[in-house]
Amino acid sequence: MNAIIKVENLTFGYTQSLVLKDFGFELKQGQFLTIAGPNGAGKTTLLNLLCGLLKPKAGFIEIDAADIQSYSVKELARKIAVVHQEFVPVFDFTVQQMVSMARTPYLGTFGFESDTDKEIVADALEMTDTIQFASRPLAQLSGGERQRVFIARALAQNTPVLLLDEPTSFLDFKHQVGIYDLLKAAQLEKGKTIVSVTHDINLAAQYADIALLLGADTGYHIGCVKDIFSVEQIEKVFSVRTFSASVGKENFFLPLGKFAKDSRIIISESADS
Amino acid sequence: MFEILTPKNLTIKIIICLAVLVVIMCLCTLVGTPKISLEEVFAGPGREPGHNIHYEIFAGVRLPRVILAALVGAALASAGVILQALLRNPLADPYILGISSGAGLGAIIAVISGITFTFWAGSPIAVFAFCGAMLTICLVWYIGRFAAKSQVTSLLLAGVVVNAFFSAVMMFLTSIARSEHLRTTIYWLMGNITEKDWSVLSIGAFFIVGGIIILFIICNKLNALTLGEHEAKALGVDTTKVKAIAFAFSALITAVAVNLSGLIGFVGLIIPHGTRLVFGPDHRQLLPLSAIIGSIFLVIADTIARTVFRQEQLPVGVITAIAGGPFFLFLLAKYSRKVSWLK
Repeated sequence: MNAIIKVENLTFGYTQSLVLKDFGFELKQGQFLTIAGPNGAGKTTLLNLLCGLLKPKAGFIEIDAADIQSYSVKELARKIAVVHQEFVPVFDFTVQQMVSMARTPYLGTFGFESDTDKEIVADALEMTDTIQFASRPLAQLSGGERQRVFIARALAQNTPVLLLDEPTSFLDFKHQVGIYDLLKAAQLEKGKTIVSVTHDINLAAQYADIALLLGADTGYHIGCVKDIFSVEQIEKVFSVRTFSASVGKENFFLPLGKFAKDSRIIISESADS
Repeated sequence: MFEILTPKNLTIKIIICLAVLVVIMCLCTLVGTPKISLEEVFAGPGREPGHNIHYEIFAGVRLPRVILAALVGAALASAGVILQALLRNPLADPYILGISSGAGLGAIIAVISGITFTFWAGSPIAVFAFCGAMLTICLVWYIGRFAAKSQVTSLLLAGVVVNAFFSAVMMFLTSIARSEHLRTTIYWLMGNITEKDWSVLSIGAFFIVGGIIILFIICNKLNALTLGEHEAKALGVDTTKVKAIAFAFSALITAVAVNLSGLIGFVGLIIPHGTRLVFGPDHRQLLPLSAIIGSIFLVIADTIARTVFRQEQLPVGVITAIAGGPFFLFLLAKYSRKVSWLK
């Protein structure tokens, strides 16, 4: 199968610092990639490069075997849907209106939804379990519900690729798992390629196939989740000591600071061994 | 279960609102002194001009005036809808942001400098007014870019400053100019609807209705744009193009409205807001309905302005400001609180 996202020799930086240098990876249709790394490593920058909001200084990004620069805004919106961090819109759009906006890149001159558009929107509302509050304004929903609405919108955009920026920040356990289950279902049932930036590597490890670890400098590691999220790598990239163990197939990590309650136990354990 | 906007139910709503507008326009032509009766009006102009005084008043005075009020109301309400969407600020309005003053200043400069040339369909006054509106809109947009990140109110503050500055310049210019037109100019500045002949009305109608139709085409993209530029781009909206169209055409219809009737405030604020409360924020519906409801509002306001005192006619801007000022303060209090909650 061909790569849906292909990044080669990518270099990008802001005026002061280089964020990405000679960076590259490939993602096949239907894979789930999670991007992790310390603050300022360039996770969101990479996401913005992938959705065309930023232009690379050097190198190129291919989406579905064509240079990202060759797409118009409208064409790109039919390939990639983005879920930025959850927010409350200025005007009181209802859930249904918000999800309907996903059809914007498909509408004709006067911008009204066809019956097909309405079906797709209804399916997305159904799948994300947001149909129950479809007529309510977004401002009246909780953060977790709102995030589900934005994911519904991304699904209704009917794109092969889904990009998400920290989809589970500010959510409680139940909603975190809910969001990831939803994404996994989209991957498995609809064959979506998912790229998700996260701070929660433990949760992401349970769902993603591939992990990309961005270092604070321009270094990076990419590979299957188990190899990338290893103790040495995590401690080095995040420069923090962790307690780690494994559950089933995946490792999980608990960061430990100097004054953490269990910090001394871990130190003495590692000193013993 | 819930209502989805379709071209069909939008058309029905537009037709109902238009019907209400027509009924109100008819009623308003009958109000005022001297009294005229519909029966006599329908009798027609009669054999020679001046034969049927009822018809003369209806066709020569009342009807053009009511139509003018309807056009200006539609223009200002639509410009308000578009500006609120573009600036992502529910308190934006062509008058409050100083865009009307910009157009007014342009028009006054044209009058005073006495330039005479004809440019396509526009007199120098119209061209200058458009340039004034366009420049102000750019200025406000530029200030708004800084303001957007901080607070709803800082953009308004910028508008207040722009407005005060332009008003002062206009007062200065009218003072140093020959004083014979002073009274009419000042009335015009306060927003005054007077009788205009049919050719002026039809040119105005062409630009205002045409502008609103073009703006209607970008309405679904404006919906996405109110979520912010990143969101809009992710939804496939060419933000640069859509913003350019929105700015140019809202400036155009504001300039035409200012040309026709001077500075009338708050219509662009009250009407979109009220319409949004009832019909929701979807711009495909908000724009046409606000335009029609704006017409209804200004036709009624103008009828009040010309009938409330028997001897003297008030500028309609006085009526809209009296109604709109307190309403604006109420909204400002409401949104300032909402914004500080979000922080």
